[in-house]
Amino acid sequence: MSKKEDILARYRAHVRERFDRPVLDDIQAITYPDPLAQFVRMSQTVGGRVVEAEGNINDLIRKLFPEAKEIASNLPEITIATRNPDTVESARALNGTDVGVIRGCFGVAENGCIWIPQTMKEKAVCFISENLVILLPKDRIVNNMHEAYRQVEFHDYGYGTFISGPSKTADIAQVLVMGAQAARSVTVVLV
Amino acid sequence: MSTLHSEKAKAFLQDEAYSQWHDNTFWSVRTKRDTMARGLPEWEQLREKASAIKRHTVTHLDEYLDQFATNAEKNGVIVHWAADAAEFNETVYGILKEHGVRKMVKSKSMLTEECEMNPYLEARGIEVVETDLGERIIQLKGQKPSHIVMPAIHLNHDDVGELFEEKGISDEKGNHDPTYLTYRARLSLRNEFLTADAGMTGANFGIAATGDIVVCTNEGNADMSTSCPKLHIAAIGLEKVIPDYECLAVFQRMLCRAGTGQPTTTYTSHFRKARAKDAEMHIILVDNGRSDWVGNPDHWEVLKCIRCGSCMNTCPVYRRSGGYSYSYFIPGPVGINLGMLRNPREHSGNVSACTLCLSCQSVCPVKIDLGDQVYKWRQELRALGAANKGKKALCDAMSLMFGSSGLYRTATAVSPLLNILPHGLVHSGVNPWAEGHEMMEFPKKPFHSIFKDLEKE
Ligand code: SF4
Repeated sequence: MSKKEDILARYRAHVRERFDRPVLDDIQAITYPDPLAQFVRMSQTVGGRVVEAEGNINDLIRKLFPEAKEIASNLPEITIATRNPDTVESARALNGTDVGVIRGCFGVAENGCIWIPQTMKEKAVCFISENLVILLPKDRIVNNMHEAYRQVEFHDYGYGTFISGPSKTADIAQVLVMGAQAARSVTVVLV
Repeated sequence: MSTLHSEKAKAFLQDEAYSQWHDNTFWSVRTKRDTMARGLPEWEQLREKASAIKRHTVTHLDEYLDQFATNAEKNGVIVHWAADAAEFNETVYGILKEHGVRKMVKSKSMLTEECEMNPYLEARGIEVVETDLGERIIQLKGQKPSHIVMPAIHLNHDDVGELFEEKGISDEKGNHDPTYLTYRARLSLRNEFLTADAGMTGANFGIAATGDIVVCTNEGNADMSTSCPKLHIAAIGLEKVIPDYECLAVFQRMLCRAGTGQPTTTYTSHFRKARAKDAEMHIILVDNGRSDWVGNPDHWEVLKCIRCGSCMNTCPVYRRSGGYSYSYFIPGPVGINLGMLRNPREHSGNVSACTLCLSCQSVCPVKIDLGDQVYKWRQELRALGAANKGKKALCDAMSLMFGSSGLYRTATAVSPLLNILPHGLVHSGVNPWAEGHEMMEFPKKPFHSIFKDLEKE
């Protein structure tokens, strides 16, 4: 027998009563009168910043990050990008990115999560950048994670993540610090 | 007569300021959890559902594991099975050796602690770098985690500051500001991410319907660990597999609210395939006792645990004794129970570390009856030959006394005599219930005589 069969046989020999799957579609999950307003509130609570798109997106990014030198994006409208995660030689070449610009699919009002399926060759851009800008269509906000998981889709790359605010830690003496190993700031641009 | 736990707890309590801080810190995390729970009108319904999903899944693991492995393989992932810790460690080493890996970055995984993987790999010349800040700190310090979610909670910022100075991670001597120290650790770890040959993650969930593994972190270290290297190894305990996204939504909503009092972790990452065409993703499914535990009629439900940590945060004994007072590597209520499943003789000292207040089971998001289980373990100690000899003798004497009305009357009639016995005799150590607190004063007249007198009147 293979190791898998060994383990499963052992399990079957020991498992006792088998319980049925519960009904889940009767969960009375929270909804909000204004999901967008709740999403904005939660994004701020988790340490993110939310701005409305105005004028040219490149000008807006320049205005938000006047010091930024290296800007990484594979989005065609980001003409100020100096690096492209689709064409960099390796993920490591994205280190030192000041601002990464990516697109989010939808936001979740209850916790500020944004679904980001990988749509670029090097997903490192989502984490390695000092500052992350997420472009998010403002008419795509769901109430809660139940609704969210009904919409989750992947692209050909087999990776996707919900991001809610900047990377953070409280591992030193329980003091909350933004910017642990990944993006130190997250700005959501509502488009 | 004291257990190992109570002896270690005594040492922990020596530093009064620190033990007070520890207690307050965890109580404040518990309070944050309450705020989160109250913020969702459906919270208790979610707990019911979470418990029922886990009951169902844990008792259908053969089907879900098969489905999970089949789907993962369809996604091009290489799936391994390990019966125990030794097989797990060998499998990891085998993969690393085949790829010529010298350095592996790793995000937090309690399973690798359970299997003692790091020392095994290090003895074979592979450098393992923990990338969760708390885990990194204790790795540099040569210690083990004292909490499953906040592993370095037993160290303060001065401890960490001095450690970073010693290891050359920070260069401003005497700057022990947590923001500065976190930044210095970020720079040092960034270098590790860029130079590692492999990345390892644990998994909070495995999704049978799609073959994804889901990893929840606040730091983004699981994503950083897997973004540069061409090799990703995921270690996952059998019980972590759940049916589908509909179930996942329930757990995603609860894990962090219950554990740290946040509405979500910063990252909820789904890994479904290898990173690139020339990259590999391996999943190792680890049994290590789980397929036996599922057959334990009184204790199998511990397998429902999602390792949120909230039973520790709320536990009055954990808060006042710290993670290192327990003999098992997972402390607190769930650790007591897991330790007993693992090795009851070795870990029976922990079952006394419980006041049976049952706070743990009133917060557990998957409704494990943790305190009731501790109570059951206590009843089983005798059969396991692990009962405390002194307490056992006194209990035998008590059951003799309470079992015979004549003996009971004599005893209650003479009990006021205890009040006049010298303090030193009552607290002589023969009486374990007088340790650490005063004995009650026995009434002059026992209740049954008062009652009889009242009846006469
Ligand atoms: S037993 Fe319950 S409360 Fe404790 S860590 Fe597991 S899921 Fe959380």
